[in-house]
Amino acid sequence: MKLMVTVKRVVDYNVKVRVKDDQSGIETANVKMSMNPFCEIAVEEAIRFKEKGVATEVVVVSIGPAQCQETLRTALALGADRAILVKTDEEIQPLAVAKLLQKIAEKESPNAIIMGKQSIDGDNNQSGQMLAALLDWPQGTFASEVSIADGKATVTREVDGGLETIALDLPAIVTTDLRLNEPRFASLPNIMKAKRKPLDVLSTEDLGVDVTPRVKTLKVAPPATRQAGVKVESVQELVDKLKNEAKVI
Amino acid sequence: MPSNIALFSAIVGEQHVLTNKDDLENYGQDWSRLYTPAPSFILRPGTTAEVSKIMAVAYEHEIAVVPSGGRTGLSGGAVALNGEVVISLERMNQISSFNSVDRTVTCGAGVITQQLQEYALEQNLYYPVDFASAGSSHIGGNIATNAGGIKVLKYGLTRDWVVGLTLVTAKGEILKLNKGLVKNATGYDLRHLIIGSEGTLGIVTEAEMTLTDQPKNPTVMLLALESLSDVSNLLVHFQSAMDLLAFEFFSHQALQKVLTHRDVKKPFEHDANFYVLMEFESDGDEAMESALAAFEQAAENEWLVDGLISQSQQQAEELWVYREGISESISHYPPYKNDIAVKPSQVGDFLQQVDHFVNENYPDFENIWFGHIGDGNLHLNILKPENLGLEDFKQQCAKANPSIFTILQSFDGSISAEHGVGLVKKDYLSFSRSDIEIQLMKSIKRTFDPINILNPGKLFK
Repeated sequence: MKLMVTVKRVVDYNVKVRVKDDQSGIETANVKMSMNPFCEIAVEEAIRFKEKGVATEVVVVSIGPAQCQETLRTALALGADRAILVKTDEEIQPLAVAKLLQKIAEKESPNAIIMGKQSIDGDNNQSGQMLAALLDWPQGTFASEVSIADGKATVTREVDGGLETIALDLPAIVTTDLRLNEPRFASLPNIMKAKRKPLDVLSTEDLGVDVTPRVKTLKVAPPATRQAGVKVESVQELVDKLKNEAKVI
Repeated sequence: MPSNIALFSAIVGEQHVLTNKDDLENYGQDWSRLYTPAPSFILRPGTTAEVSKIMAVAYEHEIAVVPSGGRTGLSGGAVALNGEVVISLERMNQISSFNSVDRTVTCGAGVITQQLQEYALEQNLYYPVDFASAGSSHIGGNIATNAGGIKVLKYGLTRDWVVGLTLVTAKGEILKLNKGLVKNATGYDLRHLIIGSEGTLGIVTEAEMTLTDQPKNPTVMLLALESLSDVSNLLVHFQSAMDLLAFEFFSHQALQKVLTHRDVKKPFEHDANFYVLMEFESDGDEAMESALAAFEQAAENEWLVDGLISQSQQQAEELWVYREGISESISHYPPYKNDIAVKPSQVGDFLQQVDHFVNENYPDFENIWFGHIGDGNLHLNILKPENLGLEDFKQQCAKANPSIFTILQSFDGSISAEHGVGLVKKDYLSFSRSDIEIQLMKSIKRTFDPINILNPGKLFK
């Protein structure tokens, strides 16, 4: 069984994001970039299927600038078998992502595609669903548990108010939620081995996809800063403030 | 005592004099938790002028004082045992007058270490002194103990970041030492005498601290080692290949404690005897290539058996938990803590000798080793066996002290690398300092504090 996993290179989860002075976007120069946390979970899940003997090959795909090769090498070090980079310096929005992945999926014919439910930069939560629609495959989004057997994937989904378990006919799309697994650290010996694993680079033209953005960003602004708290000297003062300032009692 | 209180509350204001039982216990001791605190009362001055007035009164009436910061010390340096007046500097917690040209910032003694670290980041700069208690410890206390921590290998100790000090003397005079200068060759540098003096020479009320550039893309490697015999080779090897920020080690027993105490995953599939946590600047592909090549070479030389590398800032922090979580994970035993130092080149040999001694003489005791290999600072923690009473355990450990310190002395090591001497180590000072040295130190103390009212009973027997 072949699994395809997608990974995105984003601003590191622990970096405090700063908005550019001209409000055209966020500052990315000299900012630490890492694999999107939900994608890490997707990679981990695929590798576990390989370790269990369910999957025989894990192909990892990324879309973005040349530096995404680092992100792919990380996935290879974690245990993926080969990598594909769709190299582009353009802004790629969810629909374009889905179309590019559709072309690759048609070429690779994986039995399942595991993706992060969303990336922490765009927070769109769209690519997986759009890809499922374009391929006309079933989808199991927000997965907190996945098992694969007899041509079916059983996916436990984190939905509002609880869990929902569904069965999908393969091939299918699964998108990962936070509780699915805990990704491992990359081992240094495996990083060495990963250098020799194949990494193919394609362009958007190779795949014949028009990636022109459909949504225009007008302005990016930081959230309003919170006012500092104050210490009150007495209960009377607190009650007074709640009544007359905050007007909550 | 009440008449005394009146003298002081006229200076700081009644609301800043604390006398209730909980406050006396809380402000009267540090984290050593070995002594019963018994201060008379607590003063919380808000300015250098107030501290000066307090000392003038204390001097006139021969009242002993204990300066108090975040009280995270482990040597009893901030403990008030005999009815001293505790002067807490916690209200003096303002950071002011940042100068971008000098890259200096003025801190009240009560500024919390982490507060300064965060302030520096806001200025796109870096305050590099860092340790597990940075969220509670005060800059004043860091200065009093010359605090070190986990980044000493690259950035040195607190001493290296102090460019000016405001000091209140025993008589209440206010001194401005070094005044922020980089170069100043005008005789004895009293600033450096004050740093590490544990509140026995004067009270630091304000400090000018210097800041530096932020490290570029700090990346963490965790290495698994079968033994520490090749650890100095490893240090030299990696130091030549990359820009190291930290080079720490811990034993497998230490890791086990963290894994039991915290909800973290096992780092390696196969256990090893020792682990080295190494942080380095990885600015660009070349630095990373060099680091990876160095790892490959070390593996070929069989100096290590496995390794991990952080792929994100998040993972770097997760890896640090294995090292920084140790103290907390063993605190409930409680451990007999020893903070000692030898030259980095001798860490392996020294550790072997002490380990041998403890195993031979105290076979029921569990040893937890961790520390900063890069600067030769080792933390030996012996855990209290469950079936042994606390007093018995303390007694047995006290018996072990002279033997361990004799080994240390043969290595020309230090009985206190970064925790200070305080009350805990004062009986053993002679293992690291000669008699003449101690006599000179005592005469310095008398010069600064002729009637012995500044943190009396600490440092010397």
